[in-house]
Amino acid sequence: MSVTHGASHHGVGASLPRREDQRHLQGRGEFVSDIKLSGTMEVAFVRSPHAHARIRSITAPAEARGRVFTAADLPRIKPIRVVTQATGAKSPAWPPLATDKARYVGEAIAACIAPTRGEAEDLANAVAVDYEVLTAVVDAPRDMRGSPALVHDHWGDNLFVERVVEGGDIDAAARAAEITVTREYRMNRQSGAPLEGRAVLAYRDHRLDEVVVYASTQTPHTVRVAIAEFLDIQERRIRVVAPDVGGGFGPKARLYPEEIILAALALQLDHPVRWVEDRSEHLTTSAHTRDHHYTVTAYADRQGKLLGIDTDIIVDAGAYGLWPQGPYQEANMAARTLPGPYTLANYRARTYTVATNKAPLGPYRGVGRPGATFAAERTIDEIARAVGRDPVEVRALNMIPPEQMPFTSVTGMRYDTGDYARCLRLCAELLDMPEVRARQAHGEMDGRLIGIGFASFTEQTAHGAAEFASRGAAIIPGFESCTARILTDGSMVLMVGIQSHGQGLETTLSQIAAEELGIDPERVSVRHGDTESTAFGFGTFASRSMVMSGGAVARASRMLREKLLKIGAHLLQCDPAEARCADGLVLGPRGSVSIAEIAKVAHLRMDGLPPGTDPLLDATATYEPGISTGVFSYATHGAVVAVDPETGFIELLDFAVAEDCGTMVNPMLVEAQIRGGVVQGIGTAFYEEIPYDEQGQPLAVTFADYLMPGAAELPAIKIGHLHTPATATEYGMKGMGEGGAVAPPAAIANAVRDALAPLGAEVNETPITPQRVMAAIRAARGD
Amino acid sequence: MSAIKLTLNGVAIADDVVPRLSLVDFLRERRNLTGTHLGCEHGVCGACTVLVDGEPARSCLILAVACDRHDIRTIEGFADDSVMAALRDSFHRLHGLQCGFCTPAMLITARDLIRRGKAGSEAEIRAGLAGNICRCTGYTNIVAAIAATARSLAGGNVA
Repeated sequence: MSVTHGASHHGVGASLPRREDQRHLQGRGEFVSDIKLSGTMEVAFVRSPHAHARIRSITAPAEARGRVFTAADLPRIKPIRVVTQATGAKSPAWPPLATDKARYVGEAIAACIAPTRGEAEDLANAVAVDYEVLTAVVDAPRDMRGSPALVHDHWGDNLFVERVVEGGDIDAAARAAEITVTREYRMNRQSGAPLEGRAVLAYRDHRLDEVVVYASTQTPHTVRVAIAEFLDIQERRIRVVAPDVGGGFGPKARLYPEEIILAALALQLDHPVRWVEDRSEHLTTSAHTRDHHYTVTAYADRQGKLLGIDTDIIVDAGAYGLWPQGPYQEANMAARTLPGPYTLANYRARTYTVATNKAPLGPYRGVGRPGATFAAERTIDEIARAVGRDPVEVRALNMIPPEQMPFTSVTGMRYDTGDYARCLRLCAELLDMPEVRARQAHGEMDGRLIGIGFASFTEQTAHGAAEFASRGAAIIPGFESCTARILTDGSMVLMVGIQSHGQGLETTLSQIAAEELGIDPERVSVRHGDTESTAFGFGTFASRSMVMSGGAVARASRMLREKLLKIGAHLLQCDPAEARCADGLVLGPRGSVSIAEIAKVAHLRMDGLPPGTDPLLDATATYEPGISTGVFSYATHGAVVAVDPETGFIELLDFAVAEDCGTMVNPMLVEAQIRGGVVQGIGTAFYEEIPYDEQGQPLAVTFADYLMPGAAELPAIKIGHLHTPATATEYGMKGMGEGGAVAPPAAIANAVRDALAPLGAEVNETPITPQRVMAAIRAARGD
Repeated sequence: MSAIKLTLNGVAIADDVVPRLSLVDFLRERRNLTGTHLGCEHGVCGACTVLVDGEPARSCLILAVACDRHDIRTIEGFADDSVMAALRDSFHRLHGLQCGFCTPAMLITARDLIRRGKAGSEAEIRAGLAGNICRCTGYTNIVAAIAATARSLAGGNVA
């Protein structure tokens, strides 16, 4: 069911090479730290070396007067506070510079300024802070209740929120079960680790009476909202610019204390200030991610048909909630996603979001889905093992058939379109499953064990008002905006509220304009990331940009098309209904006129306009998808591994993705997003972890201890597509930015389990390190 | 302050630097050559890779004073380089970059692999990229772009 539009070679469906490439290939990209303003002072922070400590006093060297700023020196700053309507949720105040207590290693206590970063760090090192060290809260399951140590003293416990998500009758499912499987799973804490860290440059523009904040962020418009609120100044006096951003992946879709502090410094001082996060700051203070604990009990019949799932989900959320959405969405999304692509009727999830003395948890590609998929898909494999069937067959048995679409899941998710079982079979074909089974049976010369594993999931994308309102969110990212403007020569500017940092929106949004207007993308500029030049929008996260911003561009372009046709028809002396746009022209029955000629009339020669027609070619549109609970992409990932049972070392031999994201605007970019996401998921599966010790000290604070996938460890990644268009979006698009990262940990863990089956060992924790593999083998042996 | 003289992108220059100034900070902050990026400042990610006397090196691990009388080349210094031109074209056509932050250093490493004849197979290219982290692409298209460039150069398309 693929859709073809009347697309030109550069409209919807064209694998157009990217228009943003040239500046980066020349080394002429402009990231925050590349921007030079004369007189800029560099900022370094005094940060807490303790996970939990009362701050008795802060003493700066006498000669540093006016160069060290504590909370008391920046009285304009109000504490950051997340507003939530979620029932029973607690929301702590977070002073951007700590006042009474430090609650995680790395929490900012004072800002120090100097002409160079080195000198600013020297100054930060010279500031003396007197701490009363307190017991750190580090173990979420143990410390969520009954702990004498409290992250937030007045709470009485360490719970941000607890919530039950349920449907059907789980007790009846338990009674009816012929098979019961119980497992514990753990997806450990990690970093998003974009290659460019965060950075902020702020200065006062006296001519415009505003403070300009350059920030490496995915969400410039909402950062502006936050600065206005937490510095208590009118929003018109703030401009936020996200220039080139060197990767985001979710951690940069939140407000950070440094953005508030730098804006406050710029307002108070008479020179620009700049802070560029170093890698250790990133690994200790930028949003951490994952850190889920699951206890799953699944009930099934003897065929492997799922009867019910009962689960506890504990999320270790760190010390504070990041604005605007707080720490609540992680467990909520995990609980609601866990039933996956299956016709599960009975379900209960008890969720606990726990405060600990660790860095705040935030979104990272997939958010709650990778953990939930890990727990669910490992469990499906154990059910298959318990009933003696192939996991692929047990998945197919339980999947929602296409004729039941749209299907409302047991947790109330409305799956719109798709053929889940066909996607699963496509993935098995891509890996040539019979060949792998034959190799596995034959055995390896070197004694390694071969395994194959799969994981299937659905991915809620481009969700809007209904979804975020149901979460009790105070800010509802339900739409995007576009101002489309054709200039006097017929070239075009799209000013969009979205932000692009690698996704290629400067290219794909121009393809949408090309689709609607027949304009050459080479004559279209896409402006984004600057609150000065774009209407309000929320930014790039939640796999929403192509659907939402693409939808806004389509609508604004159509508004201009109508006017182009009206003016063009007048010039061609035909009826507008007889005219159409193609190849940069308006064509009538007896001739054509170029967009450039029409644009000239609309601006410079209004004597050529039809009577009663306003000048200008300028349209602003917003777009909200037809269904605001999201459109659901879906996929099955498959992995083939070779495990060395002597060392625990795992080689990833093959990896395949079969997926369906509806209509693809630019298939080349879609596949690159999938592969990039998969490799991040492989990082979660094998390498990436930030452990904390009992004192709350983070143990991975450089790239020497925080490992990420390199080119040498990876196989080529196979991709197969199904094409089921969405019914509620422009062109049938669905979001797909996050899906790649969702299933690799589950698929790989299932492959490792398959390989280790002869030894009876399984690994239910990420990353699956050689040490964990060996521990599992020893445990299975009874050592 | 220490006086240094070096060749930077083919031009002889002289400057005074504090002893602790790294080469990358010298390039970025003093010479405004911002195409060399900082991803970790401890020699792992490879985003700061430049050529020192023709060899790829981590500019975050080298002090500017140690570059006295040496030849430094950054991404801004390849305007007349046919291998770099071919690589840029391949990275564009085959979508070998997303956010662009690792890209300048990736190109410098890729050019070095091709010049040393170490881009003959996918496995060889992947091994050669072990010192450059890309967080966006998953490397597939980077490897493909380098392989395509190496093939076209071997075919005599570029001198």
